[in-house]
Amino acid sequence: MASNKRLSAPERRSSLIKAAKALFADKGFHGVSIDEIVSAVGVSPAILYRHFKSKDELYDAVLQDFSCQRESYVDTIVNSDADFEAVLRGITAVFIDSIVTQPDLLKIELYSILEGHQAHREFFLNRWKTFTDYIEFSLNELQSKGRLPKIDSKASALMYQGMLREVLLLKCLQQSEHLKDYSLQALLDKMISQFITSLELN
Amino acid sequence: MSSFDSELDAKGLNCPLPILRAKKAIAALASGQTLKIEATDPGSVKDFEAFCKQTGNELVSSAEEGGNFIFFIKKS
Repeated sequence: MASNKRLSAPERRSSLIKAAKALFADKGFHGVSIDEIVSAVGVSPAILYRHFKSKDELYDAVLQDFSCQRESYVDTIVNSDADFEAVLRGITAVFIDSIVTQPDLLKIELYSILEGHQAHREFFLNRWKTFTDYIEFSLNELQSKGRLPKIDSKASALMYQGMLREVLLLKCLQQSEHLKDYSLQALLDKMISQFITSLELN
Repeated sequence: MSSFDSELDAKGLNCPLPILRAKKAIAALASGQTLKIEATDPGSVKDFEAFCKQTGNELVSSAEEGGNFIFFIKKS
């Protein structure tokens, strides 16, 4: 909805980010023009360039605007048992919450994979690294203590990432009909349990 | 600040691993003892601030040296 109401600079900046976020989520970075963004907000391109030097800079601001999960991760670690499964369930819950409350994040990630912009890909790869690094490192450590049979920890981490991503796609974006009897949480609980069982931890 | 009782190398590790390792290392210390942590993840600066705020342990110092982040945490 276009609005010419006079806004303060921070309000204007945030209205531009909000409009750009919705458009990037629907059409990707390359599918959206500056004209479309400014007309969604009801301002001239000159106003947009007063806040952001380029479309790239605006896109970075959109990514940074997605709420940061780091403090929640720290919170999870501090408040959970330090055992592998408890921490994995805790950080997964934080990650899932970030997508459920901000589904645009998932759409923008999918576009970024197709569009192949290095900086954008790194932003999303880093989000997944929380899981892959944690799983890889922990499984190597458990193997060195003899608590796990010999497995490939990198492949296990990738398996977890794939599982989580697929659940999110099916439940948050596609509203898959054949999973309608499972809530997102119930589905995740079962899949994490299955993942843990498959590791044959002792 | 240079004296410490235990040392943790968290270089090359990403969130949440440095925090998890620090939690385990601090659990092994006695009250008043200090843990030195070296990390490379720039986000660890904020992470350890939040960690100390939540656990009540004291972040004695936080500094950057040649691309590494050095923290001294005193167990409460």
